[in-house]
Amino acid sequence: MSGKTSGGFLERTIQGAVSLLQETVSVENVAARNGFLQHRDPRFKCLSAAALLIAVLMSRNLAELSVLYAAVLCMALLSAIGLFFFLKRTLLFVPVFSLFIVVPAIFSGVTPGEPLASFKVLLWNLTITRQGVDSAIVFFMRVLDSVSFAVLLVLTTRQHVLLKTLRVFRVPQLFVMTMGMTYRYIFLFLDIIQKMLIAIKSRVGFVASTRDGRKIVTANMAGLWLRSYRLHSQVYDAMVARGFSGEAFVLDEFHARVPDVVILLAALMALIGTLWLNLFFR
Amino acid sequence: MAQSVFSLKDVSYSYPGGIPALENLTLDFNQGERAAIIGANGTGKSTMLTLLDALIFANSGIVSAWGNQLTEKTMRDAGRQRDFRSRVGFVFQNPDVQLFCPTVREDIVFGPLQLGVDHAEIRRRLEALANRIRISHLLDRSPHQLSLGEKKKAAIASVLIMEPEVLLLDEPTAGLDPQTMRDIIDVIDQAHKNGKTVVMATHDLHIVEEIADVVHVFGGNKNVIRSGTAEEILADTEFLQQNNLVHIHVHRHLGVAHAHLHEHGHEHPHHRDISGFR
Ligand SMILES: Nc1ncnc2c1ncn2[C@@H]1O[C@H](COP(=O)(O)OP(=O)(O)OP(=O)(O)O)[C@@H](O)[C@H]1O
Ligand SMILES: [Mg+2]
Repeated sequence: MSGKTSGGFLERTIQGAVSLLQETVSVENVAARNGFLQHRDPRFKCLSAAALLIAVLMSRNLAELSVLYAAVLCMALLSAIGLFFFLKRTLLFVPVFSLFIVVPAIFSGVTPGEPLASFKVLLWNLTITRQGVDSAIVFFMRVLDSVSFAVLLVLTTRQHVLLKTLRVFRVPQLFVMTMGMTYRYIFLFLDIIQKMLIAIKSRVGFVASTRDGRKIVTANMAGLWLRSYRLHSQVYDAMVARGFSGEAFVLDEFHARVPDVVILLAALMALIGTLWLNLFFR
Repeated sequence: MAQSVFSLKDVSYSYPGGIPALENLTLDFNQGERAAIIGANGTGKSTMLTLLDALIFANSGIVSAWGNQLTEKTMRDAGRQRDFRSRVGFVFQNPDVQLFCPTVREDIVFGPLQLGVDHAEIRRRLEALANRIRISHLLDRSPHQLSLGEKKKAAIASVLIMEPEVLLLDEPTAGLDPQTMRDIIDVIDQAHKNGKTVVMATHDLHIVEEIADVVHVFGGNKNVIRSGTAEEILADTEFLQQNNLVHIHVHRHLGVAHAHLHEHGHEHPHHRDISGFR
């Protein structure tokens, strides 16, 4: 086993963590922009997203799914999110996996029906069916819609606000607070790790290639655990010093306005419409 | 005789692992007093402040606040705990410890919320305080997006907003730029004028005279080696030098580098020399 691989692995892991940090910060910038959805009450946003998700999952109607997708793209534009940025985050990543499910479904072996095209691959005769293609498109649109709703919600809502919204839906305060603190301290640790890496590099050069470098990293990892333990008890002290006694209280800052209600109503109408379409036009 | 706020009698404390941090310390802090704690690194300044804030408890000796002894047992009483926390505010040396919420705003309002202050009142105090120390633009940021000085200001705000009777400050001005340092000194000064007791550990000797009436110097013996008025102690350069508190200051004037003791709190004459030569 060569030392290079393990050193490279360490460094890549650390760099990965650091780029996660930068990535997340850039997402936070979107949430801080001055756009339509950024100004919406997160409670209404979450509820609307939930209603739309249910509608999408129940819909078998391509026209409806397309309208919803167009609506998502308009919302993204209204919220100061570039179309390319948004498409990159949705189209490129998540729906790729759905192709693996969708592609087999278009063939007669999986979805029997009216043949559209037939061809021969090696020994197999493959037939694509109309029903197969239709259901594949609907499936793909459903995934695309749901992913887009979720991404839009996350992009336009700051992490801590999203967390706070959990409280409205009766998730215990202590749980929400712990998640918030975890989120906060992940950054602190990434920061410490990054500084540590720079400090090591300044002393021994590239960590990846030297035995000493790896030793120092290992020793520092142990130190990091101790530091995390000490930090943990100090943070607890800091909470107690400001009156924390096991139950945390927070300031409620959510204000619902007319557009919030309008959005929720629109989402509910989409949901009811879907139910209605499914019941009467099968 | 002024009323005593904190008193330490023959107090010793060792951290788990056995290293003694304070040995047989006896010290008093009076109502409305401004005390500065100075001393080299590792002489127990932070440890004493943590003891005063009843976050750790003496191994031997007595620490008391307003005449009541601070022990693990007495602080277990919820009413007592709450009363004590609302009267004593502590700014930690490391601001990362103190800013544990996702945003600066939530961090600042954390204390008064736990103590049950009325929400409208909290909002009013938050706005006034944020304006005064110029952090309004930072309120919705996450602490990890702040510089060290900005974090320090946020940490100080998170304690000032509780309007405690006593402020325990562990190096509140370390690493701050001159304007920010001025803001912080002004805020502390204002708090003192409003009758608050201030106990502050610091390495910034040049502000000691301005912010403290009494100075306690901690030494390598894990105890106070000298107490006195700010003028008296700052004037004794030889003593300060012996205790790692004054450094030799090298700088240039009239194009020549030269070294001399860095005496703080006095007008530096060189600028006048230069203008005289022009
Ligand atoms: N959590 C801890 N665990 C073990 N030892 C500690 C801990 N904190 C401090 N010490 C030790 O206790 C002694 C006093 O530390 P303290 O932090 O009170 O010093 P200080 O005067 O505040 O120093 P500085 O000027 O560097 O802030 C030091 O010798 C230090 O090594
Ligand atoms: Mg200290």
